[in-house]
Amino acid sequence: MSTSPFFPCAGARALHAPTRREFLYGLGASLGSVAFTSMLAASQNGKEGPHFPGAKAKNVIFLMMEGGPSHIDTFDPKPALEKLHLQEFVREGKQKSAMESGKRYYVRSPFKFLRAGQSGADMAENWSHLAGVADDLCFFRGCTVDSVNHPTAMYQMNCGNRFGGDPGLGAWVNYGLGTLNADLPGFVVLPEVSYPQGGAANWSNGYLPAHFQGTPLRAKGSPILDLSPGEGVTRERQRKNLDLIAGLNAAHAAQHPGHEELRARMDSYELAFRMQMQVPEVLDLSREDEKTRDLYGIGHEPTDAFGRKCLLARKLVEKGVRFVQLYHGSWDSHDYIERAHGNLVRAVDQPIAALITDLKRRGLLQSTLVVWCGEFGRTPDNGVRGGTAYGRDHNANAMTLWMAGGGCRAGHTVGATDELGMAAVEGKAHVRDFHVTLLRLLGLDDNKLTFYHAGRFKQLSQFGGTVIRDLIA
Amino acid sequence: MTISTVSPRGFKCGFGTVRGGWLAALAGVGLGVLGSGPQILRAEDPEQLFVRRIQPLLREKCMGCHGEDPGKIKSDYDIRARETAVRGGESGERAIVPGQPEKSPLFLSVTRQHLDEWEAMPPKEADRLSAEQVGWIREWIAGGAPWPDAARTAEITNAHGSLWAAEDGSVVKTSGGLSSDWSNRKYKPESLWGYQPVRKPVLDRVDGRNAIDALLEMRLPEGLPVAGETDARTFVRRVTFDLTGLPPEPNEVEAFASAYETADLSRRDQVRMALIDRLLESPHYGERMAQHWLDVARYADSSGFSNDYERGNAWRYRDYVVRAFNADKPYHQFVREQIAGDELDPHDPEKIVATGFLRMGPWELTGMEVERVARQRFLDDVTNSVGETFLAHSLQCARCHDHKFDPVPTRDYYAIQAVFATTQLAERAASFLPSENVQGFEERQFLEKTRDEHLATLARLDALLLEYAQQWFRDQGRDPARWNAAVAAIQGQPEGARISGKRTPGRANLFEDARKRMASENVPESEYPPKLVGFTPEQFGLERVARKGLERLRWELDRYEPYALGVYSGRTRQYKTVFTPLRMPDNRMTEGELETACIRLGGDPFSEGPGVNPGVLSVLGAVKKTVPDAIEGRRASFAEWVASPDNPLTTRAIVNRIWMWHFGEPLAGNPNNFGGTGKKPTHPELLDWLAATFVEQGWSFKAMHRVILQSAAYRRSATHPAPKTLVEKDPQGTRYAVFKPRRLSAEELRDAMLAASGELNRTVGGIPNRPELHPEAALQPRQVMGTFASAWVPNPRPEQRNRRSLYALKLRGLTDPAMEVFNAPAPDFSCERRDASTVTPQVFALFNSRNSRARALALAARVLGEAADEPDAVRRCFARVYGRPARPDELELCLRHWREMEMLQPVKAPPAPPPPVTVRRDAVEENTGEKFSFTEHLHANAAYVPDLQPADCDPRTRALAEVCLSLLNTNEFAYVY
Repeated sequence: MSTSPFFPCAGARALHAPTRREFLYGLGASLGSVAFTSMLAASQNGKEGPHFPGAKAKNVIFLMMEGGPSHIDTFDPKPALEKLHLQEFVREGKQKSAMESGKRYYVRSPFKFLRAGQSGADMAENWSHLAGVADDLCFFRGCTVDSVNHPTAMYQMNCGNRFGGDPGLGAWVNYGLGTLNADLPGFVVLPEVSYPQGGAANWSNGYLPAHFQGTPLRAKGSPILDLSPGEGVTRERQRKNLDLIAGLNAAHAAQHPGHEELRARMDSYELAFRMQMQVPEVLDLSREDEKTRDLYGIGHEPTDAFGRKCLLARKLVEKGVRFVQLYHGSWDSHDYIERAHGNLVRAVDQPIAALITDLKRRGLLQSTLVVWCGEFGRTPDNGVRGGTAYGRDHNANAMTLWMAGGGCRAGHTVGATDELGMAAVEGKAHVRDFHVTLLRLLGLDDNKLTFYHAGRFKQLSQFGGTVIRDLIA
Repeated sequence: MTISTVSPRGFKCGFGTVRGGWLAALAGVGLGVLGSGPQILRAEDPEQLFVRRIQPLLREKCMGCHGEDPGKIKSDYDIRARETAVRGGESGERAIVPGQPEKSPLFLSVTRQHLDEWEAMPPKEADRLSAEQVGWIREWIAGGAPWPDAARTAEITNAHGSLWAAEDGSVVKTSGGLSSDWSNRKYKPESLWGYQPVRKPVLDRVDGRNAIDALLEMRLPEGLPVAGETDARTFVRRVTFDLTGLPPEPNEVEAFASAYETADLSRRDQVRMALIDRLLESPHYGERMAQHWLDVARYADSSGFSNDYERGNAWRYRDYVVRAFNADKPYHQFVREQIAGDELDPHDPEKIVATGFLRMGPWELTGMEVERVARQRFLDDVTNSVGETFLAHSLQCARCHDHKFDPVPTRDYYAIQAVFATTQLAERAASFLPSENVQGFEERQFLEKTRDEHLATLARLDALLLEYAQQWFRDQGRDPARWNAAVAAIQGQPEGARISGKRTPGRANLFEDARKRMASENVPESEYPPKLVGFTPEQFGLERVARKGLERLRWELDRYEPYALGVYSGRTRQYKTVFTPLRMPDNRMTEGELETACIRLGGDPFSEGPGVNPGVLSVLGAVKKTVPDAIEGRRASFAEWVASPDNPLTTRAIVNRIWMWHFGEPLAGNPNNFGGTGKKPTHPELLDWLAATFVEQGWSFKAMHRVILQSAAYRRSATHPAPKTLVEKDPQGTRYAVFKPRRLSAEELRDAMLAASGELNRTVGGIPNRPELHPEAALQPRQVMGTFASAWVPNPRPEQRNRRSLYALKLRGLTDPAMEVFNAPAPDFSCERRDASTVTPQVFALFNSRNSRARALALAARVLGEAADEPDAVRRCFARVYGRPARPDELELCLRHWREMEMLQPVKAPPAPPPPVTVRRDAVEENTGEKFSFTEHLHANAAYVPDLQPADCDPRTRALAEVCLSLLNTNEFAYVY
């Protein structure tokens, strides 16, 4: 008789019938009763999808370069800026923000470019490691977004909706495909020590049930808050307390037959107890061999921090985590772009190349879609600020993102921006189309992956989008 | 039982069968409903089928991609005429094979059953055709797929139109859509229930029982018994949590239980009523109701987005809501004040504070955003919020187009938005009221220390810049004489006369003032030093942190000043950015742009469509109101319309919420959405009875609670006598045959633990407090625009920290993880109803956290201080946690556990380290990408007084604390029955 607490509205009920699985967070160990196990088996294949059974990608590693990397200084060279360097002009208009308007000047890229791999991909030469796996990458230069404000653009890239509150990409993917490993969360986030602008709403479950929420594994301190009991609390004491709780709960449940949620809550305590052991094991990178750690640049500056994240991402994917999102940044280089982007690239170039190499040699790249992007691109010009501190402002009309593995069209560059890199002109597509494409690579149909909320069926792309065929192999 | 209905105007009609009768009785008398009737399905002539069904269906579902825009026809398939529709598109196959639906791709694709060959159409799952619609297509193709021309279509329509209209639903009169198709579309009568006038059922014979029970019984499945009355202890716990969000004290439980159990059956009603009256008079009643209301309003103490500036004055709106409930402010008044308090009485601070409601959405304007876009965001937010909160209509669906399901044209959306086109944001002067709690303002000393630090940093950096300037002149080989003169001249000015001093009192910025002076004297930029000349990455970083820190403090220090988060009516001023609280200008009626309202096509703020006047929802045509288009008075007038006793959305919306607050389940399943896509009411007669009664009783919440809480339904046990029958007869669990247990909300869990341990500070109202967060979450670096937000520093004293959860500072960018995990809603969306999911991280928060351990220890220490012996101590724990005595077996179990745990305790517990007074922040300097660090001082931590610590307690107490921790983690504590 009890209504599932997850499904407060009729539409949701019809689309996504509640199961006991819903009561269990994706964290925890094997399940107690036979009935539970069978229900879990049924839901492991996912409730909604896949809608296209042939899709290659099963997992996603999403490398989020927060702050807006400059396409012009990374993967989209603009030699025309050489001639215009430091030429001033004035931009006005009601539709311009304070940042965009007023006196401005053009800025050439301080980086030299090379053509990498058989495919001859354009790359700034400081991406020396990534150049080694250039033929595994599929660059997309046509992406546009709606906002030049960090948090709103971050929300749009991560959740589809500029104003926050919607489910994150990883939540949608898990909602669509279900979990591969009930012992771990399906959506793991590896944030920087400081959370990005917009905060944890970037990996929210939004209106989807709570267990689709991204679980941040904290970069410092305990990976999950209160995973272990307080200092000095032994496992024995913990166990004995759990036994007391179980005893009291059992008597209570006997008095309340038919109140099904009691059982779920009792089980969650046992799952939690087992997790306290298992999660630290998964996170332990010390068991990886020396060569692998070196490959990722672990133990060396400036690659150690991001190298650890990339290696952990591979491990999590191996363990069956559906969607891992890594944060790096801030890439918001308004000034001194040579120094700023230079430092940032040095910190991520080797770890990212290592991730692709490592996934490939383990046969995981086929089934793992790697995405690299920011929340928007940057402008070919800058406002008059320091005078000599050349940098770039935010640009919603052009950016470069790339993918690797997971059935994307490796070795190709799709779309193009204008001569100065101000706006996408060829193969131009809104980020919603990119989202639809990402889902398609995972075998999911954005138009079918919907959830009823606040009066309508909502979807990642908000109102539907078009698959960008050129990005798919 | 005989039931009849009366409309508020006294129209009376009886009806026999309840189910069909209710809707049937509505037909024709509804507002703007031009006629409706039951669906009659019968075989139809294929030509008529085309006119009646197929053509409208093609237009609605297919034309968007296959004909509407002849320039953009997808897959080359044009469905505007029979010829092209039959011929097909780029696949080359004929789309329609007349007479043979199974061979017609058009049919195959709408079935969504032949995906290998034919893509599902329409592509969106949400747009899929119903089985009935698929059937029409099959029937039409089987019948030869006729396609009558315009003349024949008109002929058929003339002959059958009125009959069809009666059969298919009704056209609803509104202000009109962007197309006549929309204006003339038909609605099923059952999707229009919310707009019908409230019709109060008249109950002729209710045998002295509560009308609610009579109306519930009417829809009780035959043969389904109802659960008996719950016992006294369960009832007192239920109703106390329900009305105050707190558990009853053990003596309150005992007093009620003994009074109830010794009373004659005839006097039990009085005993219960006395309890209910006591709780309704409790100041905590208002707190509990405010929590419900603020869920809907999306209360937070910060603005969200990039800066997440604190809204220093938001707490006054929160307390206004508490006061309103405690004073039983009539709801129509409550509505009017929140929408238009400033227009009703600009001299009453209470009314200004009330308009905080309109400011509850996240909002900011940084230099990154286009001003007009930010303004439009506010207008869209407030329009939708007013719709969801008061009218149970999420109006945003009509922002870009006429509403897809409900009779809400986009014209209405912008007419309502026009009401707010002269509404401006301001942190307005509003003196503190005697009823407000203004204690604790001395905490500003900690913020002032931080402010002084920032000013000192900037002064130091300014001195450095002046040095670097000299170096710059040397490097450039230029003469610094003119520069030095400028610096000297500024130094000679009093601080208030300097440019920088005007903006930030106390701020030294000689260097930048000198640059501005040079610029004003038309010295070329190349002849004086550039901004921040010579800075190292660290200095860039420190300058920014201090400058932004001062900016942020302005918002925080506003908390202790007599300002209200409010609005005023006036012209729209121009802002490039908003980085300091906005005050109401003197020339609000004359300066700035008078916004003209129009439809924003496709929701685009720069795409102006037809103009609109301020207005109301036109579907409620009978509830007339003319909203003036003067600058002032629009909202007051609109609020009159919302709060009209004849507005059926308003009255049903609020009683539906009140019902949910008591039963956990609303009567209409989506309290923010009474439109066609929302759940229909399970008990429409009851909903109307409640709505009408609410108005009759003077819009009084307390009177409504009394009526509901006196019902037998509310007293039912959570255990049903025939569980199998229950599942069989009421699979959805919507018939109120048994009381539904609920898990305590996040706030109740925390408050109940503090109440059990005796640590709860029950002071009502006041500035937000900062309870203990998980220390890692508290110190979690949080990026905001250009800097880090300050760390979460708990209040120094336990009694400040241990206030009710309602009062905890609610930052959009930093939610308390322990609250979030128990489904406390994020303030992005209005929360119409709390979820209560069970997820594993809840265990970590409730079983492992320092806060839970602290509560358990305090409870143990408390009962040991009161108890005569060990069994008595355990009994007291049960009384405090569960509100009942321990059974002998439980007593034995817990005593044994206590002894065992005592053996496992260390003799001495190590003292907890004091909280840090500084935290090092490692940042990447955004100009240079270089790393730099700075130290944030956590001044309040220097005055920190911890809660009771393990180190303060002997092993016996600590061992009992383990028993307490276990009790606080059991299901019996977490659920209310």
